[in-house]
Amino acid sequence: MFDQYIGISPKSDLILLQTLGEKLHKRTFLHINSTREGGGVAEILQRMIPMLGELGIQARWEVIEGDAKFFDITKKIHNAIQGNIEDITEEMWQHHYEINKKNAGKLNLEADAVLIHDPQPVPLIEFKKTGVWLWRCHIDVSSPQEEVCDYLTRYCRKYDAAIFSVAKFARAFPIDEFIVSPSIDPVSEKNKELTRDEIGSILEKFQIVADRPIILQVSRFDRFKDPIGVIKVYRLVKKYNDCVLVLAGSPATDDPEGEKVLDEVREYAANDPDISILLLPPFSDRDINALQRSATVILQKSLREGFGLTVSEAMWKGKPVIGGAVGGIPLQIIHGVTGFLVYSVEGAAFRVRQLLNNPVMAEEMGEKAREHVRKNFLITRQMRDYLSVWYAMENKGRSILEL
Amino acid sequence: MEEKTMFEFMQCISLLKATGKKAKGLRELRDRISDVSDESIFHHTYQYFLKGHILEYTNDFAQWTGESLEENALSERLSNTDLYAFKDINSLRHELIKVIDEHLDLFPEPREAMPTDEFYFNETVTFVFPVGTRARNLAEFLTAFRYLDAASIYYHFYEARMRLGGGIDDFSRWIEEVFGKKELAGRIRAIDPFMHNLEEIKKHIIEEVEEEVRKDMEVIDRCLISI
Repeated sequence: MFDQYIGISPKSDLILLQTLGEKLHKRTFLHINSTREGGGVAEILQRMIPMLGELGIQARWEVIEGDAKFFDITKKIHNAIQGNIEDITEEMWQHHYEINKKNAGKLNLEADAVLIHDPQPVPLIEFKKTGVWLWRCHIDVSSPQEEVCDYLTRYCRKYDAAIFSVAKFARAFPIDEFIVSPSIDPVSEKNKELTRDEIGSILEKFQIVADRPIILQVSRFDRFKDPIGVIKVYRLVKKYNDCVLVLAGSPATDDPEGEKVLDEVREYAANDPDISILLLPPFSDRDINALQRSATVILQKSLREGFGLTVSEAMWKGKPVIGGAVGGIPLQIIHGVTGFLVYSVEGAAFRVRQLLNNPVMAEEMGEKAREHVRKNFLITRQMRDYLSVWYAMENKGRSILEL
Repeated sequence: MEEKTMFEFMQCISLLKATGKKAKGLRELRDRISDVSDESIFHHTYQYFLKGHILEYTNDFAQWTGESLEENALSERLSNTDLYAFKDINSLRHELIKVIDEHLDLFPEPREAMPTDEFYFNETVTFVFPVGTRARNLAEFLTAFRYLDAASIYYHFYEARMRLGGGIDDFSRWIEEVFGKKELAGRIRAIDPFMHNLEEIKKHIIEEVEEEVRKDMEVIDRCLISI
């Protein structure tokens, strides 16, 4: 599996992975999260655990179990951390703790390094036995509901270190805090190379005729992704350049407004034959891959965003991406180099026109975008960083480590 | 050839750490610069070159004051700071504070950054390790150099200036010490570290070394003809 990344990932990442693999040979590395399938964390762990094994590290992945009430509470905690107002009572926090206590009794928590993903299993720290314990927060905690955050902090402070995705998400904890960006897997169904025929047949399935430039946004039908704004962008561009718009995504099932937003988008599109609204079922990775590869310009016109990995996915396909300057998007798009950052419908429309009228610039920008992702946002870099955090914690106090 | 005369390609990779400190305005930036760790100052200045920077700026402080605070005059002055002219991080820290103080004397009411656009102070843990490639002569060096990652160029060209001092990088030092090629070493040292990104530095060094290797080969060609 590791060999698949040779020639794709930066050589330096692969060398450091192997070097750290030698340093941490036969040591145990335990990952714990709350779901085996679905979501970015599980996706990455499915690939990462066997690869860590290939490097000589004894990696395990455990999943905590809980009842419906537990997951209802953790959903509320998740939303509150992202800034929604949620009422989480003392009894709820107690249930959160008790479920973790029950899991601690069943799981083997002994390992040289333990990486706990997200808030669901965070109380497991109370049952720490050995090793370095790290808490990995994948969520945007830049503007949380403070009392919920304070409660979680009681647990977080007991870890040896915390890991956040973006520097601005880090909190003023009295422990070491590392910044590790999320990543995409270049050999997965969503990102691997596709042949022209494969792309063609998927476009045919969606009845998209690639006879004009395609503007694409892939995202949930969620107000924060601004799908109406994207249609406005398309209409402004259409006055000058003939093009088609594809809005592809799944309905936001955990968002009561999801259906309403989709209806609004359809109404706003007003049966324009050049707008395709595609409702994709879960696991449509190959379809998304083909749509991204067939697009001329890709938008991620978010008004609010966590990290926004769809940007890296698009950039990996060598496409110029125009993104809202929010969340983790500015980390991926270097304005004017690997894409454009925009603040308005008009700004986005201007940049789309610029790219449609300058195919050479679009191609160069796409190449730089792909290289930027190759260096910074591939799964091998994320693995490298996890092992580096572990090794750095075992050599605490040293800012330069010669291997 | 003895091992010590070979060029061992190394590289460094940095793991980012948050310090928990941030600034939303110029006065806060100044105060934090005065009390953050040396590692944090190092990261926001010397390690800027590792990021594939935009040429208007030469460090994070200059970029933030220019883009987020729109203090262009200050940004220009900060960008013009020669990082390699200081004997240690503290001297650089004092210079940065001095430049900001002078600006605040002239413009005492600077604007604040937009929410979410604050300056976050980070630091790094740096891992240094061999690439696994060695060169015994300039031709081998050139071949290996073409395939080097940016992080390796950073280590030997930028980080070396801190280790060796005197504006000297690992490449030119090796070329001068092992082969006595002072002119080539001088041409490599003349590449301005502030005016190029890592890819451009790589390109320039390839051009210089390629030219030298070609000249060396031409001498051999002439010898053969005379025979």
